[in-house]
Amino acid sequence: MNAPVKLQLLLDAQRLERNPFPIPTGWFFADYSENLAKGEVRNINFLNQEWVMFRGENGKVGISDPYCPHLGAHLGHGGTVVGDHIRCTFHHWEYDAEGFCKHIPYAKVMPPICKKQPVLRTLPVVERYGMIWAWYHPEAADPQWELPAIPEMEEPGYVKPRRWSGAVNTAIQEVAENGVDNVHLKYLHGAPIVPPTTATFDRHTMQINIGMGYIIGDMYGPGLNVMRFTKDGVTATMVSYSVPITRDRTAMNMSFTYKDYPQGSKERAIAEHLVAHSIGEAEGESSAGFESVDMIVWNNKKYRAKPLLCDGDGQIIKYRQWFKQFYPGFENSEKI
Amino acid sequence: MAVEVLVTDRDGKGHALEAGGARPLMEVLREANVGVEGTCGGACACGTCHVYVGSAWADKLPPRSEDEQMMLEAIAELVEVRPNSRLSCQIPLGEELSGISIEIGPVP
Repeated sequence: MNAPVKLQLLLDAQRLERNPFPIPTGWFFADYSENLAKGEVRNINFLNQEWVMFRGENGKVGISDPYCPHLGAHLGHGGTVVGDHIRCTFHHWEYDAEGFCKHIPYAKVMPPICKKQPVLRTLPVVERYGMIWAWYHPEAADPQWELPAIPEMEEPGYVKPRRWSGAVNTAIQEVAENGVDNVHLKYLHGAPIVPPTTATFDRHTMQINIGMGYIIGDMYGPGLNVMRFTKDGVTATMVSYSVPITRDRTAMNMSFTYKDYPQGSKERAIAEHLVAHSIGEAEGESSAGFESVDMIVWNNKKYRAKPLLCDGDGQIIKYRQWFKQFYPGFENSEKI
Repeated sequence: MAVEVLVTDRDGKGHALEAGGARPLMEVLREANVGVEGTCGGACACGTCHVYVGSAWADKLPPRSEDEQMMLEAIAELVEVRPNSRLSCQIPLGEELSGISIEIGPVP
């Protein structure tokens, strides 16, 4: 007679979900700064809901819940920017970028709560790297860290970033997990070897080192990953800023840049090659970029909270434990 | 059991009201058409249910909450708010308040 089998492993698949994760906490890319002019109002979909984004005459960007706290009109349908505020079309109540009600044209006395606290949910917003960034927390808590300096994106002397955007039908945690999964680089992407990879974790940051310094990746929460590819003393930088559109869909966005080496120089050629390599367009290489091979996996997989791992699987579990901090309230979830 | 409420309206006219159950005083006044609008529905956001509570009764009420206090301070810039001023939406009419006398207060 056969020994009894561990049924859980066999039957788990029936209970698996594609994306059991809530929207994580962190700073997320909303749009490029150049895409939102002063006085503009636009409806955007990300972080699993619709938001109304506007830019006041003072240049400040607001990203708010769509529905007016007064009687629920949609601020992004008929709402306009008046000065630094967004004004609801229904009764002309006005809100600032922090969600405070600043004006009710016909009230003799403003409701006292308008002075005390925001009445409209807005996301904390900063503009850096030529982009609009929003802080998300499920309970609307204040930002818990600041976005880092990225010299390549903020200082002169670098080439104008080349951008790439796409979308994938999976959660943001799954996309970033590939960063610590060095084994798949050989078997899925066809890299010649499994590159040695280390990962260190510190509060909201994670640093991965792939191929003993060939790629250093610094992740700042779920929404920002700065990867530096270095060869022969030349570094190319890939800034990756994925953002959850819904719980099941993630927009992937990237900017590639490097020092503005002279045209025709060896350094510029190396940097260009590194960029091409990172997006899988390098000539004469067998290793495939993420677009051609990762998508197949991401778009069809389910998440195993209790995966069967072997000795060569590296940092997967540590990464998942680190990522759990971005799901406040789900610390003890069995599904994640 | 019914709770008796003695109301003086803004014209100085007296009304004896009977209220059933533990309801907010504002609702009873609003239904009796004695000059209380209660526009915001009890959220301390409009100040339209302002009343002066009879001196014998003021101490028997629960103290003002922060929200009620802020609303009373807000209307104080436009109308007379006294130590016995209350928002009637914040007064649950229990049996112990039967016989309470109030005067409908001024609103902005």
